[in-house]
Amino acid sequence: MYETLKVERHGPVGWLINNRPDRLNAMNNAMRDEFAEAWKELDADPAVRVIVHTGEGRAFQTGADMIEIASDGIGFERYRESSEKFDFHFTSWHNDVWKPVITAVNGICAGGGFHWIADADIVIASCDATFLDPHVSVGQVAAYELIGLARRMPFEAVLRMALVGRHERMSAERALALGMISQVVDPPERLREEAQALAEKIARNSPAAMAATKRALWGALERGLTDACRAGATELVSMWGHPDQVEGPLAFAEKREPQWATIEGSGSS
Amino acid sequence: MNAYSTLLVEREGPVGWLIFNRPQAGNAMDAVMLDELEAAWRELDEDPDVRVIVNTGQGGVFQTGLDVVQLSRDPDALRKQSGRTRRAELRLTSWQNAVWKPVIAAVNGMCAGGGLHFVADADIVLAASNATFLDTHVSVGQVAAYELIALARRMPFEAVLRMALVGRHERMSAERALALGMISQVVDPPENLREEAQALAEKIARNSPAAMAATKRALWGALEQGLTDACKSGATELVSMWGHPDQVEGPSAFAEKREPQWAAPTTARPTSET
Repeated sequence: MYETLKVERHGPVGWLINNRPDRLNAMNNAMRDEFAEAWKELDADPAVRVIVHTGEGRAFQTGADMIEIASDGIGFERYRESSEKFDFHFTSWHNDVWKPVITAVNGICAGGGFHWIADADIVIASCDATFLDPHVSVGQVAAYELIGLARRMPFEAVLRMALVGRHERMSAERALALGMISQVVDPPERLREEAQALAEKIARNSPAAMAATKRALWGALERGLTDACRAGATELVSMWGHPDQVEGPLAFAEKREPQWATIEGSGSS
Repeated sequence: MNAYSTLLVEREGPVGWLIFNRPQAGNAMDAVMLDELEAAWRELDEDPDVRVIVNTGQGGVFQTGLDVVQLSRDPDALRKQSGRTRRAELRLTSWQNAVWKPVIAAVNGMCAGGGLHFVADADIVLAASNATFLDTHVSVGQVAAYELIALARRMPFEAVLRMALVGRHERMSAERALALGMISQVVDPPENLREEAQALAEKIARNSPAAMAATKRALWGALEQGLTDACKSGATELVSMWGHPDQVEGPSAFAEKREPQWAAPTTARPTSET
């Protein structure tokens, strides 16, 4: 049971839903801990093939809960050690989740909310979603989430959000044009339906092949091109001899859905 | 304040302007401009009243790279420039001069060849609707390297290779540059470019100078490393602001619905540059 999140299952799709709508889904300390638990739960469940992450209410995520930080008498010091060591566990990437993760941005995404865009595999948004990073407008530094974002979209747009701060918002349309997201859902009420439909398409693919593909592509962000290809080779060859490599072509020839081998969640390994 | 013969350096409120001023020569960089650029970036960086810098050009052209004709007549300047080029120690742009204040390039017309340095190394890039982009290097037997290497970190690779290889035989429009995310805003009519750049700069000037400098260091530094290492280095920049007065002032001003009074920026720069 979670206090700040909802975890649901719909067919092969696991849903992780930010559930502090009265605080624009800002992450307090309890939510920070629950994220780590929820990602592990969904990753460890073999019936969950794909994970969708979204929010309740008019915001997707607005980063750290500034009210808690300003009022709990500890402030950012609570996070000093984990920040200095970059020892975080609130996104799928932090938790080594190698199942496909879709972020469905249902409204405002601000500041630390970008963690779940930067660290997702696929991002879609409702047409009324907006994006901004107000860190520098309140004397904070924008780092991890924008460093991650800059690997997946043009740098100029990232710097513009970083430096203009709260004085400008990016629209879902511009985010689509820039390739920050791949789909805008209009009307906004259909966001979850579209995310479920996309997740079900992905769930038809080989779980083992998708996990190895994710490891190859995310691993490539750590390296220069030639080294990334060499590391990718390990992932590629790891599937040779796997039962899915027999089942895939066979199912295709027999015009039926493949029966893939189930995989263990990799988060704990 | 220095006097420049190839640049204009101006101030308007919290915004410093660095303007290429050789319109008769396509704003190309001659030996004098090469020296003056370094001095002008430093002057604006060291002025605590300047919170944001805008870089643009006089006339119908933004910047067209090295003035090869003039440089070939000045053997000393050519030797100095060649040495810096060989060692990748150019001092043309804000990035090359370690300027950590926000820098906006406002491309007012053609940007060719070495002019792309100032697009690649800016934080934010606006362009007039009649601006064009091309890299002429290979059409005159030169290699395009630094400026396109940097551009390829900030926009799709295919578009960079196309500019690199088609050379002077094709120009990219401002609209296409916007679609590719090379720039974030096209200003139409073109005459409004400076006004729009000033307005954007003034928005940016409302943010914490110290937080922006640390954010710039984190994001530009990340281009040097793999993702995980970059995040670890970014942590140092992030935590560096904890305890800074701006971190108290920001939320207080927000709660009290007033403009924050930020600490004046300090310009920590290496002193031993030559």
